[in-house]
Amino acid sequence: MIEVSNLSKSYGDIQAVDDVSFTIPDGEFVVVLGESGAGKSTLLRCLNGLTKPTEGSVSINGESVMGPRDDVAMVFQQHYLIEEMSAYNNALTGALGRTNLFDSLTGRYEKDDKYEALRSLRTVGLLDEAGQAVGQMSGGQQQRVGIARALVQQPNLLLADEPVASLDPASAERVMGYIRRAADERGLSTLASLHQVNIAREFGERFLGMKDGEVIFDGYRDDLTVDVIDEIYGSIETDAIRSEAEA
Amino acid sequence: MSTETESETSEVQTADDVDDAFTLIRINKRARQVFGLFALVVFGWLFTLALDQVGFAVSEIVKYWPDFEDALGQFFPPGEVFGIPFVDVGAYWSFIQERNLIMQVETNGAGFMFWDWTVIPGQMFVTLAMGFAGLVLGLPGALILGVLGSERVTPYPFNFIFRGTMSVIRAIPALVWALIYIPLGGVTPFTATLAIGTDTMGNLGRLFTDALEEVEDGPIEAIGSTGANGPQRVIFGMLSQVASPFIAWTMYILEINTRIAVTMGLIGGGGLGYVLQTQRSLFKYTNMMATILVIFVLVISVEIVSQRVRSYIRGTEESQGLIALIVEFPQRMVRSIWQ
Repeated sequence: MIEVSNLSKSYGDIQAVDDVSFTIPDGEFVVVLGESGAGKSTLLRCLNGLTKPTEGSVSINGESVMGPRDDVAMVFQQHYLIEEMSAYNNALTGALGRTNLFDSLTGRYEKDDKYEALRSLRTVGLLDEAGQAVGQMSGGQQQRVGIARALVQQPNLLLADEPVASLDPASAERVMGYIRRAADERGLSTLASLHQVNIAREFGERFLGMKDGEVIFDGYRDDLTVDVIDEIYGSIETDAIRSEAEA
Repeated sequence: MSTETESETSEVQTADDVDDAFTLIRINKRARQVFGLFALVVFGWLFTLALDQVGFAVSEIVKYWPDFEDALGQFFPPGEVFGIPFVDVGAYWSFIQERNLIMQVETNGAGFMFWDWTVIPGQMFVTLAMGFAGLVLGLPGALILGVLGSERVTPYPFNFIFRGTMSVIRAIPALVWALIYIPLGGVTPFTATLAIGTDTMGNLGRLFTDALEEVEDGPIEAIGSTGANGPQRVIFGMLSQVASPFIAWTMYILEINTRIAVTMGLIGGGGLGYVLQTQRSLFKYTNMMATILVIFVLVISVEIVSQRVRSYIRGTEESQGLIALIVEFPQRMVRSIWQ
């Protein structure tokens, strides 16, 4: 169970996140919607302790988040992998939190961790590419390696900060599919921020709508009407998105 | 219609503005000219002072030109190659053989054995060994100082402890380090190697620090978010990003070390430089030139290998041509003497 209470974060005069509170029960797949600059990234960064909130707190299973921790995993928009290393070794860095310095340096990870890395790569459909250097992979494949790294952490909470924003529509759908599948298989609570309303509706279970740092919508798929989307993004003219939202 | 009247009126209004702006530009230009003249005078004065300080005199050059011409004749002894007048290559070669500057292959005796061949490495390999051993000895120190000197590893005021150490090492030329180490090992290749190792720490460490300033924040943050500890973040987040530049810079320092190793010989450190120094004091200019040719071959070979490795690591084909390497050789040689 993830509890966010009265969370605020400001950078100087800019209020990035403004008094946000919500709770996520175990295993729920939550999508955060909102324009660029609405505060989605800051919210996620507060959740995994990369950013310290100005006010309020985040707690996971009753334990409050004070800094980066290995039971909260993050998938980044720009994947942030080590391009020189293979997919397998990148996935294994997810186990760094459980491995001491000497063992991680000499590549002597626990056998369980090595298996976990390969299982995670299988989950994202990259088992055959395990030995390939990440720098030579396509954007979609790199993002899937990023997901595998997050899974190797064996987290309680999976965060994804616009994981498909820089991908083409087909890759975006596939990557979201893998995230959803991984979350379902492992019963992971997940919080993903997304731009694309249609993808969000396809994969999301619960939705948080953010605007100017505040959560202005919190509900499930049936509640996500075209009016709500208009409110979150301002008016949208594209037919496809409107009809998708109305459907 | 309306725009036309607007532009007309504005033209009348701005007539004075244009005059003002023109005058301002003219004043600025005059000011720059006056300053330029002043700078030229100061520059000329400093140059005369400097020439005076070193006792520079054209009359000296004129006076000793015949001597130099004589020496040139010995540097390049006249001879024939296939009947065409050329320098006497044989004279060079016999000295290179006699003093074993490159290597000697024999069928018996001491040295490295290959089947029934025996290779006795020559002076060239002494020089190469000084450069290479110095590199390996200095590498751990360079890594430690370079990584800890980065602001992103050690917080701001404290990283200057390590940066400062490297600056002090660099401020003292390798030749001077060798002089400092003489009480430790005498005037030997061993002392020279220690000096080159010290120099490597300062130079290579600085290059490592610079490479680290370029790393991206994203991967460091991503490694941090896995719950990795501080050293793991540095190694997996930062160093893994700069592994190839580090190897490339190390190869570059090997090139520089080889050139420094030549100059080490000039103060008696052994190798090709020492042969050069000995022949100079014996006024054997032909032998000197033979040694210089071997230096040329050695340094160019190390550079070619190093650049091939570096372009291979970068995965690109931007290495220089052989011609460019040879053309730039004198500049690099000169630079390395006081590096």
